[in-house]
Amino acid sequence: MPKSRLMNTVCEDSGELASNAVEVDLLKSPANSRVLAVEDRLEPGLTVHEVASSHFLGVEGASVSFGKGSARVFALRDVSLMFERGTLSLVMGPSGSGKTTLLSMLGCLLSPDEGSVFVDDVAVNQLAETGKTAIRQKKIGFVFQAFRLFHSLSAIDNVAIGFELRDPKQSQRLEMARHLLNQFGLGDKCNQEPNELSPGERQRVAVARALAGNPPILLADEPTASLDAQAGRNICQILRNQVDEHGKTVVVVSHDPRWREFADRTITLCDGQVEHQEKNL
Amino acid sequence: MKLAWQNIIHDRARFSVTVLGVSFAVFLMVFQGSLLIGFLRAASRLIDASDSDIWITARGVQAFEFGTPIEGRVREMAAGVPGVLETSRVCMAFAVYRTTNGKQQDVALDGADRNVGKRFPVPNALGSAEGMSPDALLYDVSDRDLIQVTAMPAEVEVNRHRASIERQIEGYGAFLGVPFLFTSYRNASRYMGVGPEEAMFVLLRVDKGYSTSDVQQNLRQRLPEVDVLTRDEFARKSRTYWTIKTGAGGAILTAAVLGFLIGLVVVSQTIYANTMENIEEYATLKALGAPKSLVARIVLTQALLCGAVGSVLGLFTVIPVVDHAKSLIPWIYMPWWLPAVMVLPSMTMCSLASIASVRNALTVEPGRVFRA
Repeated sequence: MPKSRLMNTVCEDSGELASNAVEVDLLKSPANSRVLAVEDRLEPGLTVHEVASSHFLGVEGASVSFGKGSARVFALRDVSLMFERGTLSLVMGPSGSGKTTLLSMLGCLLSPDEGSVFVDDVAVNQLAETGKTAIRQKKIGFVFQAFRLFHSLSAIDNVAIGFELRDPKQSQRLEMARHLLNQFGLGDKCNQEPNELSPGERQRVAVARALAGNPPILLADEPTASLDAQAGRNICQILRNQVDEHGKTVVVVSHDPRWREFADRTITLCDGQVEHQEKNL
Repeated sequence: MKLAWQNIIHDRARFSVTVLGVSFAVFLMVFQGSLLIGFLRAASRLIDASDSDIWITARGVQAFEFGTPIEGRVREMAAGVPGVLETSRVCMAFAVYRTTNGKQQDVALDGADRNVGKRFPVPNALGSAEGMSPDALLYDVSDRDLIQVTAMPAEVEVNRHRASIERQIEGYGAFLGVPFLFTSYRNASRYMGVGPEEAMFVLLRVDKGYSTSDVQQNLRQRLPEVDVLTRDEFARKSRTYWTIKTGAGGAILTAAVLGFLIGLVVVSQTIYANTMENIEEYATLKALGAPKSLVARIVLTQALLCGAVGSVLGLFTVIPVVDHAKSLIPWIYMPWWLPAVMVLPSMTMCSLASIASVRNALTVEPGRVFRA
């Protein structure tokens, strides 16, 4: 599988993490942090702390636990991972290893107990809930194992809602949704509801919805788990193309070994910690 | 907002239940509202029909239907008060009515002087005397079955006096359960056995250039043994008596409020169930970056759409039903604004119903989207 973009700046070791310590300190010290108004990216009136561009997407020293006292269980323990722009990263590991917790943090759906989360160079764990919502709205597309399409809407409306969420003033959203579905070979299924589509078609609609509005980041949770071999391969190829042709940053959590040939990098988690990382050359 | 509409019509059975709940509530509220307004209107209709400014009644009279005789000198003294332009008399009492075939019936007999007002049903009032004898009896068309007159004029008996029913009128149907009969004051007082100098109600018209309240105060000082009320005050007193003191209005009002509450419960239940059924979709929406305001708007829009559709259905049902009910309840009255105004509580009802479910939709954890 050709990969036109290979990572060359993966933060693999603690030495590089240490080199980022200055930037982390910037975040910790409000007096020194650069507070930028990013009106083009966030809701009006929202300001965020922005740090150096090497923190495009990732977590730094992140720990997440559930429960209290003796019942406390760590889902992630002091994990530091950075994902470079224009790469497809595969996160693997056994059940309970913390894959979904990691994805939830990257998707601004969960805040770490300790450590930092960066999305498009913004330290999102310092943001209020509205700020995180705005980041998800503008920056992140999600693809889920269970598709999570709106059951009462047609395929085209499901995609159009993606455009609507990212830009409520967008008046051409139906045309754009149709164009996107055409690109994914679903031009003749525009008016069908999700329960009238095959699992593979549903996942393609879900990917189209995730791509609506052109977010720079795609987070996919077991996107091929519910699909047969051919449909799964189609989804792998679609997401790979998003990296190669549009420079998107894709993080896929999956047990599916087929992803290895499409990924630039594979990260293996075990018991809430990074067990292994490798570049797929 | 398309999602809001699609969500509610996707489950047609549930949507139907919601719409029926709202329409039932709207139906009940409008119907009970029509009863209440009609009852209030009927309770003071004859007072409102007079052209008088001031009514003098015996002390403590609560309503038009319970007038008691007052001395004739009251009228004479009132006529001498500065600012009083004209006086007239009205009497009302229950009487025994007998048809030519011997059927007996209680009636409410009303008599009034001819100058009481053009809208007051009196046979010899200006504009209504054509073809009628001065002492003719009038009855409302809605009381036709009780009066049992097949052709007019019809010879009948009232309190064992011979009388002649000569005309049907409209809009003065019975609300006490006994039909009204209208005649001249002279005739009525004769049937009732009221002395020629007595009256039950003395009505006054105030001359231009005089304040009604000033004349009223003056009359109260000169006639402390009777009640001196403006027409509106007596009308209000009469309505208050029938609606509040008798409990009849309270019963009607309670039914209207119950209609609202039943509708609220039905709509709350269905909106809540609808929201909970789609809770995963709200979580997805939030995960995709939908602000809470959008999620709240979707839930509220669903409730209001159900409210709008249910209201229209309820109104389309209740309007002909109220019209049909007039044959059974002649005093029922639905003013043009009542259906329009009742849409407001129905929408409020739907908004209230959505509050409980909005809370669930807003607090749903978006992170659950990763659970298969």
